[in-house]
Amino acid sequence: MLHKRFVALLLLAATTSCARDATQGAPEADDFGDPIIVRSAPRRIVSLNPATTDLIFALGAGDRLVGRTHWDVYPEAAKAVRDLGSGIRPNVEAVLGVRPDLVILYASKDNRAAASELRTAGVNTLSLKIDHIADFYYASRTIGRLLGDSARGAIVADSVERTLKRVRATTQSLDKPTVFWHIWDAPLITIGRGSYMNELIEIAGGRNIYGDVDQTSPAVSIEDVLKRNPRYIITGPEGSLKIMKDPRWSEAPAVRDRRILVVDTAIVGRPSVRLGEAAESIARLLHPKELN
Amino acid sequence: MISFANVAVRYHGAPTRALDGVSFAARAGEVTAVAGPNGSGKSTLVRALLRRQPMEEGAIEIEGDDITQISAQEIARRVAVVSQREDLSFPMRVGEYVALGRYPRLGLWRSASAPDHAAVRSAMDRAEVAEFGDRNTDTLSGGEWQRVRIARALAQEARALVLDEPTTFLDLAHEMALFELVHSLAQDGIAVLLVSHELNLVARFASSVVLLHRGRVAASGRPEDVMQAPLLEKVYEWPLVVSRDPAVGSPSLVPLRRRASSNFNRQQQ
Amino acid sequence: MHHRAWHWIAMGAVLAALAVISLGTGVIHIPAGEVVSALQGSGDAATVSIIRNLRLPRIVLAALVGAGLGMSGSALQGTLRNGLAEPYLLGVSGGAAVGAVIAFAFNATNDGIIALAAFAGAGVAVLLALLVARAAGRAGRGDPRTLLMAGVVIGAFANAVIMIALANAPPNTIRGALWWMMGSVADSSWAALPWIAGFIALGAGLLIYWAREIDLLALGDEPAAALGVNVESSARRIYLLAALLAASTVAAAGLIGFVGLIVPHIVRAAGIRNHRPLIVGAGLVGAALVISADLAARTIRPPGELPLGAVTAVLGVPFFLAQLRKSA
Repeated sequence: MLHKRFVALLLLAATTSCARDATQGAPEADDFGDPIIVRSAPRRIVSLNPATTDLIFALGAGDRLVGRTHWDVYPEAAKAVRDLGSGIRPNVEAVLGVRPDLVILYASKDNRAAASELRTAGVNTLSLKIDHIADFYYASRTIGRLLGDSARGAIVADSVERTLKRVRATTQSLDKPTVFWHIWDAPLITIGRGSYMNELIEIAGGRNIYGDVDQTSPAVSIEDVLKRNPRYIITGPEGSLKIMKDPRWSEAPAVRDRRILVVDTAIVGRPSVRLGEAAESIARLLHPKELN
Repeated sequence: MISFANVAVRYHGAPTRALDGVSFAARAGEVTAVAGPNGSGKSTLVRALLRRQPMEEGAIEIEGDDITQISAQEIARRVAVVSQREDLSFPMRVGEYVALGRYPRLGLWRSASAPDHAAVRSAMDRAEVAEFGDRNTDTLSGGEWQRVRIARALAQEARALVLDEPTTFLDLAHEMALFELVHSLAQDGIAVLLVSHELNLVARFASSVVLLHRGRVAASGRPEDVMQAPLLEKVYEWPLVVSRDPAVGSPSLVPLRRRASSNFNRQQQ
Repeated sequence: MHHRAWHWIAMGAVLAALAVISLGTGVIHIPAGEVVSALQGSGDAATVSIIRNLRLPRIVLAALVGAGLGMSGSALQGTLRNGLAEPYLLGVSGGAAVGAVIAFAFNATNDGIIALAAFAGAGVAVLLALLVARAAGRAGRGDPRTLLMAGVVIGAFANAVIMIALANAPPNTIRGALWWMMGSVADSSWAALPWIAGFIALGAGLLIYWAREIDLLALGDEPAAALGVNVESSARRIYLLAALLAASTVAAAGLIGFVGLIVPHIVRAAGIRNHRPLIVGAGLVGAALVISADLAARTIRPPGELPLGAVTAVLGVPFFLAQLRKSA
């Protein structure tokens, strides 16, 4: 269900964030330090990351996808691509079984072994850690280059960047309400500085109450949230039901005064081509009067 | 008081019976001894009495009632058993320990009252451990612990007392003291059943001896009738003589060194 | 025995004080006076909510869990004649964890369902352990140590099943499953508490009823039999009651180790040997211990919480060191 993939993506992220260098130059190594090999355009691509699967379709290469993870179901057409299971510690045999010439992995420590096994088997790999928005631009440009269509890669990145800049400009002068993003309830998980969602909140003209925490998805306690007293709580549809039924949340001002904002996890759940839309939808929720 | 009638016990899966056709009675006011070498079935007899080992044949009666027809608590009210070994994992005060002997009379819920306290006190006096009341059980010597256990048994106020190998860890003085205590208890009217491989001590204090050999009764009767050398040699499988020390009066067996014996040819091979 | 009465009063007072302190302490500090009025429903609405909906259910659950584990542990140590016995050796914890992990793997999110699955798992584990003990042959029947070994066997098997279940579960459920296994009273709610309180009260009441038999079992099988106890059925009964208590705590709060092991020793150190007062005392001390552990768990590392099981596990260290010195 939507909520679960949302969480799945977050749980893919490591506990420490790393800032991506957004320079335009062509670095020669991916996020595992493996060299990026630009051969002739790959014809059989496996993407083990919801963000890159979505991206590949946006880059017009969706027909060249021969494998995805269980949770890569956007866009709709991705469902027709073969499900190869998990994107963390993937089943290398299953991946090799579809005879790919390029495999895109999420660069978490758990995937190092898989990346080197694939390289040893002669398959080109690209390992990217896509936690921040800048990571997405980099991914778009790099994958575009690998596909032999650098122009398209730049266009996708630029279009998202433009939308984000526009949203940021609109909310620049507005008051920034405090926000708590409720990801999961047991344990209580939210997002910190290490996540693109934190950036989305900022762009949308809000302030994440856990923006001071370095991790991507830290676990916190209800009491601490109550103490930080967010003005709004952002969550998915399931999370909002849980919060409203839970007596422990009942006296939180955001709950009492019905300031729970429900977002569409299909849009905000990945740092990918719909980032612009994501920022916009959150901005509208945070500043209904000014933006609608 | 306690009567064994044709008792037969076979351990699960064993080819032979541990006890076979054992019949005798332990009467009030007497010390009845059950003796025999290791493996002759002495401890099995105690287990059968406590219903921890089912009997294949025969019956055991306490004051005329079959033990399978009365409750375990009732048995404990009529017979106090001091088992071979007892090691407390959690040491406690001696007074507390002896008081546990009142359980068969108190049951699960009744609190101890004056008669119970009196019974505990008198039991401790009788067993000569009254001054240990506040000591911890792990500070007692072997002999002291044995007497404390007897005190616990006496606190049950049962009319029969069974002691399984009570002198195993005792030195000479404590051994003698214990047997004298046991003898005086019998004189008070208690039926004492003493299981021991110490045939000589048993011969001095018991009024009747049941000699077990491989689960059967090899002989029973007065000590001087049972302690005949040929019989004892067969049962204990060791050359010995039975002598009678005039100072002591009762017979005592003296095991011989092997080289001195000419009767045991098979052992010379 | 007026010194005993003093002990109980002191213990009760300590427990009450701990509860009040715990209610007032946390990320948001609430002075004792406000705690008391918040309990009665008056004062700032947010404070009342924090006290009544957030902290009080936690503390009540912590007390119930601590009491259940303490009582279960003391009954078991007496019956098994072993100061290192603990309720989780019965296979209960392994079975409960299997039930819960399987529930998580099937994407169960309702706390009630997970608790039920854990309880069912514990029940299956206990039954299996009884069967294994029975199959061990007539020699072992009724010997409490055979039951213990059977519990260990089942526990080992359960661990294997848990690992397999975790390996195959969707990754997003694993964190929840692990969180559950590490023990927590954070998700305590008023809805579930009556159930747990009922089970714990039932188990505790019956254990206290049969406490004298434990006194006798603690002497040994033969002495106990000689004093009128049906050793086999009595041991089995106590084993099941201890398992019931442990299973209830695991179903309610996950795996919280060492409490059942340590608490009986603390009560015995006060000189109490008779199992009736021992079990009651273990209930009180256990409650105090887990309330304190929960307090530590949620104040040591804000904004997050430590798993409760981790805090109680740390307690195991000084305990075993003390045992080591005592036996050396």
